[in-house]
Amino acid sequence: MAKMSEKMKQELKAEKAYNKKHKRMYRLTANDVIFNIFAYLLFGIFVIICIFPFYYIFINSISSPAAVTSKAVTFWPQGFSLETYKAVIEVKDIGQAFLVTITRTIIATALMVVASGIIGYLVTKQEMWHRKLWYRLLVVTMYFNAGIIPWYLNMAMLGLTNNYMAYIIPAIVAPYNIILVKTYIESIPAEMEESAFIDGAGYAVIFRKIIWPLSKPILATITIFGAVGNWNSFTDSLMLMQSKPQLQTLQHKLYNYLDSASDLKSVIQNPDSEVVRRAMDNAAFASVIKYTVSMISIIPILIVYPFMQRYFEEGIMLGAVKG
Amino acid sequence: MNEQKSKSELVADKAYWLVRLGVLAAAIMMFLPAMNPSRICERINRNLSLFTSAVSWSGLINNLSGFDVRIIGSYAPFQYVMAFSIVALVGILLMCVGGCMSLGNLKMKVKGNFFTLGGSIALGAGMLLMHIPYNMLMDTVGKTETASTSNPFSPAIPTAMWVFFVIAVIVFIGTLMTMILLPKPDKAMKFEMPTKYKLFLCMLPFIVLTFAFSYLPLYGWRYAFFDYTSGKPLTADQFVGLKWFARLVNDPQTRSDVLKVLRNTLVMSGLGIATSWVPMFFAIMLNEIKTKWFRKTVQIFTTIPNFVSWVIVFALAFAIFSTDGFINSLFGTKIDFLGNPSGTWFKMLAWGMWKGVGWSAIIYVAGISGIPLELYEAATVDGAGRAQKMWHVTVPGLMPTYCVLLLMSIANILTNGMDQYLVFYNANNADLINVLDLYVYKLGLSDPDMFPLSTVVSMTKSIVSVILLFSANAISKLIRGESIM
Repeated sequence: MAKMSEKMKQELKAEKAYNKKHKRMYRLTANDVIFNIFAYLLFGIFVIICIFPFYYIFINSISSPAAVTSKAVTFWPQGFSLETYKAVIEVKDIGQAFLVTITRTIIATALMVVASGIIGYLVTKQEMWHRKLWYRLLVVTMYFNAGIIPWYLNMAMLGLTNNYMAYIIPAIVAPYNIILVKTYIESIPAEMEESAFIDGAGYAVIFRKIIWPLSKPILATITIFGAVGNWNSFTDSLMLMQSKPQLQTLQHKLYNYLDSASDLKSVIQNPDSEVVRRAMDNAAFASVIKYTVSMISIIPILIVYPFMQRYFEEGIMLGAVKG
Repeated sequence: MNEQKSKSELVADKAYWLVRLGVLAAAIMMFLPAMNPSRICERINRNLSLFTSAVSWSGLINNLSGFDVRIIGSYAPFQYVMAFSIVALVGILLMCVGGCMSLGNLKMKVKGNFFTLGGSIALGAGMLLMHIPYNMLMDTVGKTETASTSNPFSPAIPTAMWVFFVIAVIVFIGTLMTMILLPKPDKAMKFEMPTKYKLFLCMLPFIVLTFAFSYLPLYGWRYAFFDYTSGKPLTADQFVGLKWFARLVNDPQTRSDVLKVLRNTLVMSGLGIATSWVPMFFAIMLNEIKTKWFRKTVQIFTTIPNFVSWVIVFALAFAIFSTDGFINSLFGTKIDFLGNPSGTWFKMLAWGMWKGVGWSAIIYVAGISGIPLELYEAATVDGAGRAQKMWHVTVPGLMPTYCVLLLMSIANILTNGMDQYLVFYNANNADLINVLDLYVYKLGLSDPDMFPLSTVVSMTKSIVSVILLFSANAISKLIRGESIM
């Protein structure tokens, strides 16, 4: 087959050279043109749909509150002002929530990555006492779930309700990430470890000097997954921090603001009472602040996003090869 | 280890298992509030474990009012409780160190014995000393009980105290035995431990974490068989057997709720499965676009939504579709898209796709780049056009990936996650949006008395899901000869 197509390959080469010369990959037929128009249009629209809501929130957050409440903002910012950002900084709640969220993201992610590295390396060691059993014990936890109430009662039992540690300690062991790291470490040539072993290096040294530096790509990948997950999670805050508002995360606060905004809206529907007028004032504030708070919780992701781009594919492909 | 073991060493090895078992039991019990030896009166929080009472003063006096303190006279008894809890905690930690060292060589074992011995003494002493604050409480508030009112303090020595004490004694005796039985190690002997145990000990902390956060919750399934009252521990007389399971079937209100929720869950999952080809289509189309920068741009921007939380998605939805959102201000209308329950299922599907399609497509994009180029060249030679190549080369090349993901989504048919539905939930669409995960959450949250029912539902769901997963795995093995787990 390979030999037979030798001549055809040459033909293809010639065609490619022709295409290159004429700066295109194909000789376009009418069908191709229609197809291209369709495809570019499709993706163009989809990109706009994906991006526009972010843009809309952004222009609202930097427009003057008056323009926002009078619904003048549609495609461009109206009356540039950072008033709402100032307002948000003044609301102590949000600064505190931001601090909680960012510290939990950093601490929990760092611990998770180090732990995943160590565990990923340990479970490749055949010599370990009952290695298979412990590894299975870890991995199986991905496939079952006790349910929310047993989980909540367990956290309460361990003293992790209304406790900052509830964000950190349960996040340390992440089975999926451990699998990713383990798979990656297994792909590192065993000879490297063996020669280090012969030179008298122990497991700890091998891990620090060889395994850890060589696994950096996959560690970067799980760092991103972990950080995004931690930054975005709000159900843990919702359920565990009910009586400690100062420990609630930014996402949780945002959820509360959005929730109360819709409640205020329903109050405003019967227009002639004292309660309503007061609510109106609050509603104006709520509608202003919700854009800004949303923006604040999106910005960190958008900032790190360009850096995480190149690690996606690796992580996803490795994830497909489980074992 | 090739060294010959004497008979007494073999006996010592047996004794060590007793010691390690005791240490393990103490280490686990230290985290169980039901087994808190320092809960010497009713005013100490029921959710406190020995560990928390040793490390958290605020937790210890959480339930204590200023009035209580005036009755008792001072915080002294509680300060004693905390001090002795710390003594016991240190004892347990020392026992753990000694227990770990017992896995090493002779020298390690002999040295470790001192830790275990010291630890068991500290633990035992801590338990006995706990009688001091108990007696203090008995002197001040122990006798306030009258016939009409029960004593709000009711000082009592918890059973757990004796359990811990017995463990301490067992560990103490076991360690003494090994100390007598083991010969003295040579001065020249070094601290050593077989590699297999060394590696195991490195792994141990993580095993403990997994146990605490993934396996321990399963212990909560017992709530399914009891009548639960908030804040009270489960007792044998509250055992109701399968009452809550029966309620699922017999109570008309519950039954209709569950059926509704089940319908929503299956519809949403079904819609998800019916549209599971979209990311593949997306990737194939994207592959046909030859302008590199455009392809990159599309990929970058369509994956962004995957990285924001559902709360933010709702914030975006609110900005665009609320009565004073983008659409309404553009057309000057006042249509409430979010409150309107019509087409809820499709709206949820649309948001799910908005968030997920670009991301899910990545795996197919990577899959396409894995298809050998020769196949395309051969197809070109055979005269296949663009569409034919897509259909006869690309699609079959992606099929294995698609099948695995499809099987996984079938296995996860009962699990939609609750975040999305929680944020979009409102009074109007409640009937259509409530999926199993959300139902379980709302049920438990609304009323602690419903904890058992909520547990029953999630327990059933978990079991069915695991069965589905194993079936999907078996099917995959049968058809593709590969497992998906």
